[in-house]
Parts: sequence; C-alpha cells; structure tokens
Amino acid sequence: MLTREEEEEEQEEEEEEEAKGRRRAFSVNDNVDLLAEILGRLDGRSLAVAGCVCRLWNAVGRRDSVWEAVCHRHVAGGGSSAAGGGCSTRSVVAALGGYRRLYRLCIGPALDRLAGSAGGRGSTTTTAEAAAAHHLSLSLSLSLFSIDCYERLGGRQQRPASLLFLCKPVDVS
Amino acid sequence: MKRGHQDTLHGGGGWYAVEPEMERGKRKTTMRAAEEGGEVDELLAALGYKVRSSDMADVAHKLEQLEMAMVSSAATNDDALLSHLASDTVHYNPSDLSTWVDNILSELNAPPPPLPTPPPLTSADAYDLKPLPALPAPADSLVLGSDLQSEVTPSPRDRKRMKVCSSPPSSSTTTDAATSAAAALPVVVVDSQEAGIRLVHALLACAEAVQQDNLKAADALVKQISVLATSQGGAMRKVAGYFAEALARRIYRPQPRGGVGCCSFDSVAFDDMLHMHFYESCPFLKFAHFTANQAILEAFAGCRRVHVVDFGMRQGMQWPALLQALALRPGGPPSFRLTGIGPPQPDNSDALQEVGWKLAQLAESIRVDFRYRGFVAASLADLEPYMLLDQDADGGGGGKDEEPEVVAVNSVFELHRLLARPGALDKVLGTVRAVRPRIVTVVEQEANHNGGTFQERFTEALHYYSTMFDSLEGGAAAAGADDGGPDQALSEVYLGRQICNVVACEGAERTERHETLAQWRGRMDRAGFEPVPIGSNAFKQASMLLALFAGGDGYRVEEKDGCLTLGWHTRPLIATSAWRVAAPAEDPLSASAAR
Repeated sequence: MLTREEEEEEQEEEEEEEAKGRRRAFSVNDNVDLLAEILGRLDGRSLAVAGCVCRLWNAVGRRDSVWEAVCHRHVAGGGSSAAGGGCSTRSVVAALGGYRRLYRLCIGPALDRLAGSAGGRGSTTTTAEAAAAHHLSLSLSLSLFSIDCYERLGGRQQRPASLLFLCKPVDVS
Repeated sequence: MKRGHQDTLHGGGGWYAVEPEMERGKRKTTMRAAEEGGEVDELLAALGYKVRSSDMADVAHKLEQLEMAMVSSAATNDDALLSHLASDTVHYNPSDLSTWVDNILSELNAPPPPLPTPPPLTSADAYDLKPLPALPAPADSLVLGSDLQSEVTPSPRDRKRMKVCSSPPSSSTTTDAATSAAAALPVVVVDSQEAGIRLVHALLACAEAVQQDNLKAADALVKQISVLATSQGGAMRKVAGYFAEALARRIYRPQPRGGVGCCSFDSVAFDDMLHMHFYESCPFLKFAHFTANQAILEAFAGCRRVHVVDFGMRQGMQWPALLQALALRPGGPPSFRLTGIGPPQPDNSDALQEVGWKLAQLAESIRVDFRYRGFVAASLADLEPYMLLDQDADGGGGGKDEEPEVVAVNSVFELHRLLARPGALDKVLGTVRAVRPRIVTVVEQEANHNGGTFQERFTEALHYYSTMFDSLEGGAAAAGADDGGPDQALSEVYLGRQICNVVACEGAERTERHETLAQWRGRMDRAGFEPVPIGSNAFKQASMLLALFAGGDGYRVEEKDGCLTLGWHTRPLIATSAWRVAAPAEDPLSASAAR
C-alpha cells in the first residue's frame, strides 16, 4: 500500500530507468558491420536461414565478405592463405562467381556429403561437420568451382553437370 | 460335353470349370465362379488363354522359370528331357496357362511316378495310365491329343492326377480353388548365382571357340549367352550384353570393312559427348585430371613461362582447375600457353578453337596470361617437334629476353592407341623428348588388353569391364536412382564401344590396346624417361575427391612406386604416372647441356 507521493516517486524512477535503458539499449540492426561480423561466424545453413529474417539481414547476409568468412572458417587451408594470397584469392573467386556461390555449389554440398558419411557412424552433426571441414581443402573446392564456371561459359546452353555428383538432381539456380 | 465334364468334375475340378463358365457369360453358375474366386484376365481370354487375374504374376514367374529350365536343360544336353517335351507325349491344353505351366514345371522337376490306382471317374478311362510316364518313355499311346477330348479339359483330370502324384499335399489343394496349386508344386529354382556362373563359363567358352575358329560352336554359345544374360541383373547383364554383341560382331564380320569397324556412330562429336557423360558419372576422369594437374603444378613451381601440350584436348575439362591453381599459387600466375591436339572433325566445325575460346575467357576473368593453339592430327604420330615448340613472333628462333618456357606434356588415355601401329609410339615419345619437357603426365587404364592370345585378352577384358560396370552401378546406386539416368547409360555405351574394339577388332583397327602400369614403365624407360614420384598432395586431393563422390565408398586410391592408381575395391582400374627426360648417364657433354 503506497501513498500517493511514493507512487509518484516510483513512477519517476521507472521513467528515468527507462530513459537510461533506452540510451543504453543496443540494437544490432543499427550497426551493420557488427551484424556482418556476427553473421560471418555462422555456418552456411544458419546464415541462409538468417537471411530470411528481414530485409536488412537479407542484404547483409548476401555480402560476399560474409560468405568469405564462412568459407574460410569451414575449410582447411583457408586461414593460412589469408595473409598473402588473400587478395588474389578474393579476386579469383569473385571472377569465378563469388564466395556465396562457391559455398552453395561446392563447399556446402561437400560438407554435407562428408558430414553425412561421418554422421552415419554416430557422431553428432557439429563434430562431424568440424571433422569434415578439417579435411576439405579450399584448393579442391576452388578447382571444382572453376570447372563449374567453365562449363557455364560458352555459347551452348548445356546444363553444367560436373558438380551434380555433389548435389541432388534438382538444381535451383 | 463341357457340361458333362463339369458335372463329373464337380468336387475336385470345380474350378477348372470356371473358365468355360466365364466364357459363356452370365449363368447361374457364375455365382459358383465368384465363389471359386477366379476372374479370368480378359485380354488373355480374348487370345484364348485363361488365366486368373490373381494368378498373373505367378504365371509369369513360372513361365520364366520354365524358360530357364528348358534352356538350362539344353545347356546340359539333356536330350532325353527335350525329346520328351518335344514329342509332346502329354498334350496339355495351354489355354489354362497357369496349370499348363505348373504341369510342365513339375514334369521337369519331379517326373511323377505312375498312378497307383486309376481314378474312379469313368471318363477317366480314356486317359488311363499315360499321363505319368517316366521321363524317357515316349509312349505314343499317349495320344491324348485333341481327338480324344474336347477342348478345355482333358486335362482337368490329368492335371488333377498330376497334382496328386507330384506332390501329395496337393491332392487336398485341388479341391481348394483359392490355393493356387502351383504353391504346392515343386518349382524350378532358378538360382541366379548359378546362372551367373554359367554365363561366365559360356562367355569364356565362346571366346575359346572363337580362338579355335570353331564358329559354329561360338555362334551357338553366343545365343546361349544372350539368354543367360537375361537372368542376371544390373552390371553383369549389361557387361554380358556388350561382350555378347562384340563376340557376335567378331564371328559374323571377320573382315571389317574399313574405318572403325565397331562403331555405327563414328562421329567425333558423338564420342566427345559420351566422354563428357563418362566424365560426369564416375570419378575416373576427374581423378586423372586432378592428379595430373597436381604433378604439373609442382613441376611448374617458380617458372614464369609455362607451356602445356595436351594430347587429347576434347572439351578441355582438365585445364580450368590448373588455371585456377596457377592463378592462386604463391608468387602469382605465370604466362600460360596451351597446345591442344585433337582428331579431325568430319563436319568441319572447329571444336578445338571453341574450346580454346572458352578457356581464354576463363583465363581472362581470373587474370592469367593465356595463349592457345589447336592442332588437328589424325594420329599423334603425325606430330613433329617444331609444331610444339615455341614460335613467338617476337622471339624468333634464337634469342629470347625472357626465360625459356617450361613444357609439360599431358596424355590421358591417348598413348595406348599408338600401339596399334608399330613404331608410332616410339616416334611420339621421340617427339616428346625433343620438346624437352619438364614433366610428362601419363594416365592409362590399368589392364593388359594387348598381350597374348585372343582368349587371354578376352578374359582380362571381361574382368576389367565387369569391375568398371560394377563401379558405375555402385556410384549410381549410392547417388540415388535419378542420377543414374542418362549419365550412367551413356557411360556404359562409352565403355561398350571400348569392349567392342577390344574384342571384335584386330590389327590397326584395334586401338584400345591397354597395357598395365608395369608395361608402360618399361616402355617409358626404354624411351629414355625416368619416373617422377607423384607427391602426397595429389594423393590427399584424390582421396578427398573420392570422399565427395556419392558412390565413393567402393573406390580406392593407392600409391604404387610413386604412381597413383584408382580402383574399385581391390582392383586398380586406372593409373597416373609422371615422367621426365632421363639425364643420360654416359655422356657428360649432353648431360651438362640438358641442364
């Protein structure tokens, strides 16, 4: 049972705290680079899901730099080339179609395939994926990616198929 | 008359009477028909065969067994049985297919002993004794035939008797229409494993017959092979089919008229298309490309000008990966030149140039300095060193400011063709040596399809291609049925053409002269090359590549004396090796010049 004065005081305190809270409140959506940094630490599937949250997240989730971080995080040999070869890798991958495409066409399916075969032996998905990432090399993925890019070149509209062995038959391009 | 039969057959043979009932349409007795549960398949009924719809699958199965039994009895030269069947001592009216097949099967299986007692029914007298002859007994008194009885049913009585005799429990089943009497009959067990063994034996016997020029026997065996092959499934059936076809070609066309005797489709474009599907459906070509590329990449380390000569350019699927790897190597990409060699195109289209354009586009996008040259040559032996050497306009003949270009020669499944003409391989290897390559990568099939007699070659090829087809099946099965669609089928056609060439062609036409790694090692040694061990990087990449393949479980990468082989389970199928020009030991002058 509070007196009127005490109620007013409480109300004021609450309002003050709310104001303070508002000043202190941080929305990640206000800081896009931070958002990109966070999203870049996800695995591929989660990142794709995150892209469905809202337009902002979708736009950020499509940045090739974000996918670059994802790719490097998920393959062996990605980090080591970051220093010197980082720039050239980036330009080559961009020329071939970008990291997002690289992940979608090569790395993602490859990780799934490896995790699937490892997961069949009873390990959990995360450890299996980690194990898979340990073995999958960036250079192999890039080789496959370049072959796919090559197949898409050229006048004839043949459906490039050299990566089908990684994916299910239905290819949603 | 039918009526009469029906009445007498009342109890046991009741259901036989069903069919005539059905034919006549609605009667009161259709009720009985319904009771007995026999609805005759209408389509067959129109042809005169009465088969119950519920029995259809069963009848079909038994017909297959019957065919197998007859064929296998032919194979075992069981003349007695055949003549027994042929002389048709017991005429069963085949319109009731189900029981007809049953009877013949049961006859084949267990020749029924003679009836102890004649059946009680009076009309049975006409059919006394006969129906149960011992196998060889022809007994023309076994008339039976059409005179004695009327249409449908001599048979019910005989069948009934047959059933009683051949398997005692069935006597009770005759009264029960529902249980197909066949269930109680002993069936011809078509052991598909046994049929498979017979198939292999037939194939080998046919090869032997061909070798001995016994064409008549070979002809008979080829037909047998075709029948036996149908009893198999999957890979074995397809392999047997291709080998049978190749044998048939060899038997019936000993002198193939000019050109590539085996293939109806000679066009290079068709061949390329098959090659592409083979590339996509199984990892062999990818393995070849990746391992060769790795060896070339390592050999090119530190060089600023490189030149690759590809003996079999086709669609150039090997080179995008190498371009990408060169673009990303530490130190940046070199200046890259590619010479592609391909066969002449009948329709004047310049496939080689198109491939060059595509590669140039790719190279430009990843900023690798790229030059391309295509050479059309009907055979590699037509090449001369001057064609392959650098012919820069600014370089002229002699002095170059830049460092000399480093050459790599790459041959994937091309060298074995040269063995068809004597001296061709030596000339080509001489040309290769003259270009002074830093590395020569050779990928060949790991099999001996070039030595010994026809029979030995045939046996080798049979094992090799069986394994290849198995691997295709394994890959397709693991990837899911959809994937196995056109790729797998066309890959099989691709392999089938090789089979045809190995088996049916001779002389200069037989271009698929595969040899084992050991044999190639010998040849390269004699030609003045020494082996370059393929590093562990290539091994790792190859293993990883296979892990990605859906059907990858069966494939094995192995390292053998510095060479890598890819095989299916225990059998290596292709081998990659790398070579360089051996420094001649004796002559110090040329040794220093070589350096």
